[in-house]
Amino acid sequence: MNNKLSRNLYMIPYAIWILLFVIAPILLVVYYSFIDTQGNFSFVNYEKFFSSVYLKMTLSSFWYAFLITLISLIIAYPTAYLLTKTKHKQLWLLLIIVPSWINLLLKAYAFIGIFGTYGVANSFLEVVGIGTQQLLFTDFSFIFVSVYIFIPFMILPIFNALDNVNPTLLDAANDLGASKWTTFRRVIFPITLDGVKSGIQITFIPALSLFMLTRLIAGNRVITLGTAIEQHFLVTQDWGMGATIAVFLIIAMFIIMFITGHRKRGA
Amino acid sequence: MSNTIIQFKNVTKQYDSDPTVLNDVSFEIEKGKFYTLLGPSGCGKTTILRLIAGFTEATTGEIYFNDKRINQVPANKRQVNTVFQDYALFPHLNVFENVAFGLRIKKMKKTDIEAKVKEALSFVNLSGYEAREIKEMSGGQRQRVAIARAIVNEPEVILLDEPLSALDLKLRYQMQYELRDLQKRLGITFIFVTHDQEEALAMSDEIFVINKGKIQQSGTPNDIYDEPINRFVADFIGESNIVKGTMTRDYLVEFVGKRFECVDMGMNTNEPVEIVIRPEDLEITSFDEGMLQVNVHSQLFRGVHYEITGIDQDGNEWLVHSTKKANVGDNIGLKFAPEAIHVMRFNETEEDFDKRLDSYTEGDANEQ
Ligand SMILES: Nc1ncnc2c1ncn2[C@@H]1O[C@H](COP(=O)(O)OP(=O)(O)OP(=O)(O)O)[C@@H](O)[C@H]1O
Ligand SMILES: [Mg+2]
Repeated sequence: MNNKLSRNLYMIPYAIWILLFVIAPILLVVYYSFIDTQGNFSFVNYEKFFSSVYLKMTLSSFWYAFLITLISLIIAYPTAYLLTKTKHKQLWLLLIIVPSWINLLLKAYAFIGIFGTYGVANSFLEVVGIGTQQLLFTDFSFIFVSVYIFIPFMILPIFNALDNVNPTLLDAANDLGASKWTTFRRVIFPITLDGVKSGIQITFIPALSLFMLTRLIAGNRVITLGTAIEQHFLVTQDWGMGATIAVFLIIAMFIIMFITGHRKRGA
Repeated sequence: MSNTIIQFKNVTKQYDSDPTVLNDVSFEIEKGKFYTLLGPSGCGKTTILRLIAGFTEATTGEIYFNDKRINQVPANKRQVNTVFQDYALFPHLNVFENVAFGLRIKKMKKTDIEAKVKEALSFVNLSGYEAREIKEMSGGQRQRVAIARAIVNEPEVILLDEPLSALDLKLRYQMQYELRDLQKRLGITFIFVTHDQEEALAMSDEIFVINKGKIQQSGTPNDIYDEPINRFVADFIGESNIVKGTMTRDYLVEFVGKRFECVDMGMNTNEPVEIVIRPEDLEITSFDEGMLQVNVHSQLFRGVHYEITGIDQDGNEWLVHSTKKANVGDNIGLKFAPEAIHVMRFNETEEDFDKRLDSYTEGDANEQ
């Protein structure tokens, strides 16, 4: 009895925290999504969201987020795999993680320098003989920089999953006649799938709502849902529309969390 | 057609510049027998299994399988399956799929796989557990899944690396019977690793006693128990009384300041030796009748016998297993037959040892 009471007491700070910083903001967002520019209650924002402009924007957001996640995964998995084979794997991992501590804006500006007309990348292309190209403000540079930013987050959970694979399982597969590739396909990959899912989660969801980069690197040629929210809140001051888009982003996040969530095996 | 299936010829294994893990090991394994590798932790038992399975390569020396050199053959191409010390079952697959793993890789037909897996599971008394997840199985059940996963491939040799070490005593005894029974039914060669001497004695056709990367002695459980080659083997296999002595001449040995008749011969006159007498070969008698006189130091009741320690006038401790009771503090006598004395020469190779033993048995045969 007493125990239960004290446990409930301990719960209070957490409850307040969640109420203030999770539930209240979501409720506020939902509330604003039903307010039109005149401050009246209406469904006009939702009607607008289902117009072709916003649907296209949603589609392209998903498409870019998908590309970014896929490319990150394709690069991160083998990298993480090789990392687990190196001698000082924790050190190498640290070196890969360190860039993620640097402020996003700083990194974006660095890339503007690198990809700019007179940047390092173009000097290199010049030397090689391809000649100066438009690199900045292209889909390529947007995806390149986004992948660069997200890769550490993809590598980390995959590395942990790979590092936790019991090496005798690989011997066991080998013992039962599996080649290296079969061992990977039938044992290593399925066992590390949870790590892959976590990686997808922490890449895809933020990639969906990327904004800064779309302006700085993609020169607003790519407009994602994140950019649209930013524009509505800061530029057009149409908070209602911004909130509506946010509602859909939140729903999308829940769906993705559900799909990539750790379902219990055998359940 | 020889009966030998696996042969090690002067195999040495060394990691980097560490001391050798296996040092010039040679042995032969015959088809259809139950072998045990027995030795203390770190002596190289697992290393031998890994060399046979192909997970690691010998630094020098040759390994033959069915008379073919297999040093370079990768593990997935060898006719050997392993039951790992920690079972190494695949956590993402259920019991059926774990057992079916090897068959699926061989691209066997679905119906055949089903039939074989069912059969293998019934072999290890796990019928009906097909759909279970590995984490829903107990330790003993997991071990049996691991065995089923090995036997279903019908390999010529199964390697078992301390598969019973994680089980409680009762389950362990039960599994010892089941394993031995299984091996007899299947007729497959088993190579079993343990550091439990009782387990080795109970289960094996042949035991290899290993220490510090060398095979000290190989033979049937009886041979090894009755005729240990050196102090290490005598001490490791069962309990024993070991004292220093001298071989006065053939059939006469001196220890604790007395001379005793024995059955050993063929050594140099007055050669220093070590004497082993097993505790169950010592019999309690009265002080005067005893060949040795000891003072009873302690007594423990062990169920089937009393375990008595006595100390002689030279301070040697004598362990006695006796059904007769003694009293702590009493002076008693100990009696033993000439056959109970096992004489061990210092630094005798296994070859010389076997030759010497053979010469006695021939000698005995001639006398009769
Ligand atoms: N990969 C390795 N690198 C370096 N040394 C190793 C390696 N594997 C094993 N050893 C060493 O080889 C020796 C024998 O190891 P092994 O695993 O064969 O022992 P074991 O007899 O199976 O012991 P246990 O009963 O404890 O399992 C040990 O001293 C161990 O430290
Ligand atoms: Mg071992």
